[in-house]
Amino acid sequence: MGRKRRWILLGVVALGTWAGFGAYTQQQKPLDPFEEAMRQRQMYLETFGVLPGELFVEEGKELFFRKGPSGKTLEECDFGKGKGVLEGVYAILPKYFPDTKRVEDLETRVYTCMQTVQGFKPSEIKRDEVKAITTYIASFSSKARIQVVPKHPAELAMYNLGRELWYTRAGARDMSCAVCHDQYAGQRVRLSPVRSPKQGLGNEWPAYRFEEDKLYTMQDRIDFCYESIAIPKPEFYSEVHIALTVYMLAEATKAGRSFEELPFFTR
Amino acid sequence: MRRKAVLLGLLLGIGLSQMGPFRARFEAALHSGGHEFAQVMLAQDKGQALCSQYRDKLPPDLIPGFLAEQKALIKYPANGKLMGDWRNGEKVFTDPKRGNCYACHAGVPEEVAYGTMGPSLTAYGQRGTAEPVVRYTYEKIYNAWAFVPCSLMYRGGVHGLFTPEETADLVAFLLDPESPINRR
Repeated sequence: MGRKRRWILLGVVALGTWAGFGAYTQQQKPLDPFEEAMRQRQMYLETFGVLPGELFVEEGKELFFRKGPSGKTLEECDFGKGKGVLEGVYAILPKYFPDTKRVEDLETRVYTCMQTVQGFKPSEIKRDEVKAITTYIASFSSKARIQVVPKHPAELAMYNLGRELWYTRAGARDMSCAVCHDQYAGQRVRLSPVRSPKQGLGNEWPAYRFEEDKLYTMQDRIDFCYESIAIPKPEFYSEVHIALTVYMLAEATKAGRSFEELPFFTR
Repeated sequence: MRRKAVLLGLLLGIGLSQMGPFRARFEAALHSGGHEFAQVMLAQDKGQALCSQYRDKLPPDLIPGFLAEQKALIKYPANGKLMGDWRNGEKVFTDPKRGNCYACHAGVPEEVAYGTMGPSLTAYGQRGTAEPVVRYTYEKIYNAWAFVPCSLMYRGGVHGLFTPEETADLVAFLLDPESPINRR
């Protein structure tokens, strides 16, 4: 599917969302946000025969097979299970990669391989492209069991850094991840349910958020969280994102959690 | 022998330096998130640092000192009135950039998009407006950690999210019998 066609479709879809969202907030009683998301999802399927997330998957697929300056496509990148293997890789990331000697999540790995394998300069790499490619690769782990088990010393170090970040209280609102996502898991912030890592927090990204009409990856979602607690968002592909992701998904792994349908459709 | 002395010196150095190796690695990770992010994360005050270190559960022997230090951070309106104008209080209560209280608390019964992490504040005014109630309410809003160390409820007054006068307005929004939070 061409990119132009994707944007036209998204535009139409956005109009529908906007109308639906108006009705949603003007209700007398608050709707359950997950029920509302499922209702919206159904509406998209019936109206357009396609979900917005699938459009990002299509775009990501095109970009995955696009040749970079080196003449190579991303088929030449090892995403964790060997070159060209995409099935289930998202479920085992972040992990340690011997070639870069660091722990990388999927988004960072895409960003790395676009440089080291495909020969792009960092300034040539568009965030939207990394998001689309990430979504395409993640779609091969739809509903997969999360399997993030830190073993390599670098992975264990990342887990410990992630746990430290998780408990760090900072900023003008005295917040940390833990103070809501551990102590008050199961409660709501306004209408949004809050989950703990053991309850599977993070298992729905990448997802299309109909309220924002945008695709959010795990890193986007972490940034959104930091911004909402008055802490400036960390820059993409940082150790902050990778460490927090290792911590959350390792805890979800211990609790036997699985990913949702990826890309997910949410509020 | 000389080797032993060097090793001892090294260990002493690590022990006496301000920053352990884990802390140094942690700060490097914060800096990888960029300058603005690292700056805020590294600007923790003493209370935030203690709550982080003890995972929000302070050891009992630290609690009295912690509460006293937090209490000392509370400032009061120049005119001494701890109960102000409930109409302005409602604005501060609702404003996401100031109180943002609906994130966690129920308030006016007509507002349905409220969070459930904090207790409901609907009909809070049934406590009456005796001086100890007004003072407790003021101080709790201004600095929640002066009562519950490391609580989720943030120290809005201490951080200047609202002024002492606006804190008094929030008190009025909760306690004034005319406030919609207390209307039946």
